[in-house]
Amino acid sequence: MSASAAEEAASAPGPAHTDASGAALRLGLLAVLLVLCLVPFLFVLAISFGHKIEGAGWEFGFEFTHYARFFFGAAWPESFSQLYWQRLGYSVYFAAIAAVLAVALAFPFTYFLTRLSRLGQTIWLVILLSSLSLSEVFIVMGWDILLSARSGLPALLDALGITDWTKEIGWFRWFRDVGLASPRNFKFKTSGFATVLTMAYLVWPYAVILLYPALSRLDPSLIEAARTMGARPLTVTRTVILPLVRLPLVGSSLLLFVFLLGTYVTVTVFADPSQHTLAVSIYDSVRGSTLNAPFGAAQSVILLVAAGGFLLAGRRLSAAAAS
Amino acid sequence: MRLRWWGHGFMWLAGLVLLMPILVVSAAALNGGRSMLFPPEDPTLARFGEFFVSEPVWREALWNSVVIALSSAALAVLLAWPAAYFIWKSSDRLSRVIAGLMAMPFAVPPIVFGVGLGFMWAFTGGLGTIWAGILSHAALFAALPLVTISIGLQGIDRAHLDAAATMGATEGIAFRTIVLPQTIPYTISGFFFAMVLSFNEFIVIFFVSSSSYATVTLQIFNSLRNGFTPTMAVGAIAFILVSVAAFSLVARFGDLPRLMGADQTRR
Repeated sequence: MSASAAEEAASAPGPAHTDASGAALRLGLLAVLLVLCLVPFLFVLAISFGHKIEGAGWEFGFEFTHYARFFFGAAWPESFSQLYWQRLGYSVYFAAIAAVLAVALAFPFTYFLTRLSRLGQTIWLVILLSSLSLSEVFIVMGWDILLSARSGLPALLDALGITDWTKEIGWFRWFRDVGLASPRNFKFKTSGFATVLTMAYLVWPYAVILLYPALSRLDPSLIEAARTMGARPLTVTRTVILPLVRLPLVGSSLLLFVFLLGTYVTVTVFADPSQHTLAVSIYDSVRGSTLNAPFGAAQSVILLVAAGGFLLAGRRLSAAAAS
Repeated sequence: MRLRWWGHGFMWLAGLVLLMPILVVSAAALNGGRSMLFPPEDPTLARFGEFFVSEPVWREALWNSVVIALSSAALAVLLAWPAAYFIWKSSDRLSRVIAGLMAMPFAVPPIVFGVGLGFMWAFTGGLGTIWAGILSHAALFAALPLVTISIGLQGIDRAHLDAAATMGATEGIAFRTIVLPQTIPYTISGFFFAMVLSFNEFIVIFFVSSSSYATVTLQIFNSLRNGFTPTMAVGAIAFILVSVAAFSLVARFGDLPRLMGADQTRR
């Protein structure tokens, strides 16, 4: 009897003990994650109100100089400059075009991918994931060669006689006017074309991975029903498939857009300095030539707010369209 | 429904464009001279020796990359495991907050997280140390093992757990004999995802390293001013091979289509 009592006494605190240690573990995890995942953003927010010391670093403070500089320019109130608005504009412009392009090209690919056998899908997924994880610096390196004047696309177009042909029929002038050609030859560096192309390439595998679950859950009997009733493949795509995957399409475009807002290497290498984005400006302020950490922080906050605004607007729009 | 020829054609075309920059970079590694020409001129394998053996800059960078990738991936798994387990056990508010925090660095433009981490480590004295880089990457990529481990846990039949409990197994025993074995492939997948992405990450480690050490991606970016060289292209080849090997292992020992969210009922 005494033995069973002792057993009871020993086992009684058991569950209570695991519960307590579980709670402690959870709170510990929460604390670690707060420090690692939330505090960095709080630092950005706090420092964006900080004070820049001329010729030195910065100190904590509470001033709106850096936001004013973003909104009205450095020389305000004497003069107004929209330089940073323009930078934000280019961030949004490049990211939006590249994200939509990537999703539009990923949609048919993913649809075909989900029709393959399990083995075929697995092989493609290995290729896609390897490409997706490849560092931006390597991708920029590849496109740098592919677009270079000496051994890339311009040289290929020249060798194939396409350059001379476009000159003959007068289209070459148009390429020169939009900045894709020098007086003699095609030239893709630096250009908005090269920037958007590389950015779209960068997120295309992500777009496939994001659309994959939705498209692989598509009920094939719906498509077959529409086909047996005589609908052409394009009609099926338009009337059956697209309405079913509209939400994932919009959602992944938004996600990739936000991701691309922060692209740095591609823009510095491929975009003309007059078309540099806010990410480049943040880099210059925090670590690069201009060294003004509070201003860099203020620009980061604005980039975050812009990203959040677009995400929210996108959600509202798709929710309104769904109801 | 069978895939038609134009479906295959589109896929092959997309695959070709996807591989083109990678093929060109790989070929450029064979260049005999210092410039990146395609097709390569005066082909040689000397660049491989430079990257892996004779040039200490690249050797050290590779070592740093490997150390940071392996440690941060291990740490990310250690952070993600309890989080995924708690969410699976009881999805109360605290668990959801934990999951939300883990997902946050992944949902914002990475440059902003990098800037923030740079400020935080400068404040705590960790800026420019390897361990700060490891912690930063663990925070950035913990969301990946969180997702894979959660998928693994969802696949466990709760009836097995009930059966174990009726037969007198404690939570610890049930965890060791049922939960752990079934989730090991997913844990390893999560580790590989985090490792490969950390290996290739650039912008966050740039702000966190503060130029006091370089990983391979950082070293390539630092040398960008003088243009790309064939030695860097060797790095690209090495990295691509690591990614393909890691994801092939995931595919071999786990169910890649399921991890990516494919429908289970169709084959």
